[in-house]
Amino acid sequence: MALTLMLASSRIASHLRISLSHRAFSSVVLKDLKYADSHEWVKIEGNKATVGITDHAQEHLGDVVYVELPDVGRSVSQGESFGAVESVKATSDINSPISGKVLQVNKDLSESPALVTSSPYEEGWIIKVELSDAGEVKKLMDSDKYSKFCEEEDAKH
Amino acid sequence: MRSPRTLEVWRLGTVNYLKSLKIQDKLVSERKAHQIPDTLLSLEHPPTYTLGKRRTDHNLLIPQSELTKIGAELHYTQRGGDITFHGPHQAILYPIISLRSIGFGARNYVETLERSMIEFASMYGVKARPGNKCETGVWVGDRKIGAIGVRITSGITCHGLAFNIDPDLKYFEHIVPCGIADKEVTSLRRETDALLPSEEVIHKQLITCLANAFSYDDVVWKEDPSVILDTKDVE
Repeated sequence: MALTLMLASSRIASHLRISLSHRAFSSVVLKDLKYADSHEWVKIEGNKATVGITDHAQEHLGDVVYVELPDVGRSVSQGESFGAVESVKATSDINSPISGKVLQVNKDLSESPALVTSSPYEEGWIIKVELSDAGEVKKLMDSDKYSKFCEEEDAKH
Repeated sequence: MRSPRTLEVWRLGTVNYLKSLKIQDKLVSERKAHQIPDTLLSLEHPPTYTLGKRRTDHNLLIPQSELTKIGAELHYTQRGGDITFHGPHQAILYPIISLRSIGFGARNYVETLERSMIEFASMYGVKARPGNKCETGVWVGDRKIGAIGVRITSGITCHGLAFNIDPDLKYFEHIVPCGIADKEVTSLRRETDALLPSEEVIHKQLITCLANAFSYDDVVWKEDPSVILDTKDVE
C-alpha cells in the first residue's frame, strides 16, 4: 500500500514537475497549492480558485460515500463550512480556505463521491470560487508548512 | 510530554431527542471556544427513529403517520449513517470531543468508538467485531449490537454511538436498520446468559471503556445533570 502511494505520488510529481521527498506513510502535498489547517487545498488562478480536500484529509476520513455540495451562486467565507463529506457513518464539514462566490460545483461527485478519495487534487475537486479578497491567501499555508503541520498532527497520537 | 487529558461525563437519564440535539449544539460551541474540556453525554431516548444527512427515509417501512400510534418520534439529523432506532434500554453515548487535539480523523475516531463497544461487550463474554467495509458498527456474528452515527464540525464531534442493552427489538422491524437489509439486530441481553447488573452500572462500564479507548488521563463524573438539562437556552 505504501509502495503504491509512493509510485502514485511520484507519477503526480513528475507530471507536475515538482520534487517530493518520500517518508514512510506521508501523504501527497502539492507544491503549487495553498492549504488551510482544516485540510482543504486551494488553487488560485487569477481571481478564480478551485477548492478540494487534501490527500491527508481523505486518508483520515475513510472511503467517501457522499458529498453535500453548496448551491452555485452562494457565497463562501474563509474558515466557514460550505458543505460536507460522509465516510464511515461520519459527516465531516468542509470549510472554505477563501471567501467569494461559488461559480461551479463538481457535479460528478453526486454520482461518484469516491473521486474525493481516489483523486483528491484532480477529479475530486469540489467547488470553483470567484475570490472576493485575494489578500486572504496570505493566511494560508504553503506546501512546506502544510507538510510540517500534517506531521505534527499525526504525531499527536 | 503532553498535558493530561480530561473527560467530563454527564449522565442524563432519559432525554427527548430534540433536547439532546440542543444540548449538543451548545456543548460543541463551548468546546470549539475552549470553554469546556472534552465532554461525554450518557443517556437514553424515548422511542425515536432518526435519519442521517442523506435522508434515506425509504428505509422507514411504515408510514410516518403510523409512528405516533406506536409511540415513536422521527427526526432528521446532520449525522452520518442511515436510519436507526433509539429507545429505552439502549445505552447512548454522545462524545463532544476535539479530534484536532489528538490528531484524529473521522476513521480513527469511529474505529475507536467501535473498539469501546467491543471491549464493553467482552466484559460479558460477548465476542463482538467491527463491521466490514460499509458496515460501520459493532456486530456479533451477523447480528448488529452497536450503531454509530457521527457529525464532525470544525474538528469537534457530536452524535455518537448506541449500544443495545435490552431494547424492544420489535421497533427495528419497522426500518431497514442502517440501510442494511437481511441482517438482524441483537442486544446484550440476547447474546449473553450472564446476569446483567443495573443499567446505571452498565452505563458506567461502557463509559469507562470509551474513556480507556481514547486514553483519557482523568474522568470527571459530573453529579448534577440539571446544570446541563435546565439551562435557559435549552428548552
